[in-house]
Amino acid sequence: MDSFSSPSSSSSPQMSTEDFMDQLKVQLAQAYAEEFLETVRGKCFDKCITKPGSSLSGGEGSCISRCVDRYIEATGIISRALFNAQR
Amino acid sequence: MDASALSNPQLQQMINQEKERAMANEMIAKLTSACWDKCITSTPGSKFSSSESNCLSNCAQRYMDMSIMIVKRFQSMH
Repeated sequence: MDSFSSPSSSSSPQMSTEDFMDQLKVQLAQAYAEEFLETVRGKCFDKCITKPGSSLSGGEGSCISRCVDRYIEATGIISRALFNAQR
Repeated sequence: MDASALSNPQLQQMINQEKERAMANEMIAKLTSACWDKCITSTPGSKFSSSESNCLSNCAQRYMDMSIMIVKRFQSMH
């Protein structure tokens, strides 16, 4: 979020509200993505790298791919359970 | 952009929307993490079993039930 505090070279001192909002949306999306990635790294490391070897094995690699896909799927299941099944 | 632009109603509306979105995102992320730990006990397969996906969705809904119960429990204390 550096570009808010210190105006970067691209932003003029009179930045329009629209530009500011666009920039804010991009930064928020980046922050959400980074946080999500960090969570997935933690979860899949726990699940797939149980005994770290001298390199990633093929089995670990395919576990990681499946783990990432399933974590994304799980996020969808949870959000549907929360927001579609309003009781 | 000067500081007075922060009172711009368009910007205010966006900030409020983003606050709500952030709250929802945080809730989903927290529950996904907790329910993943509870429900996905084996190594992830190429698709969820029906018991895993049911567990995930039950987990989220029971968390909401629990939240309501906890609030009620506190409200009944004097």
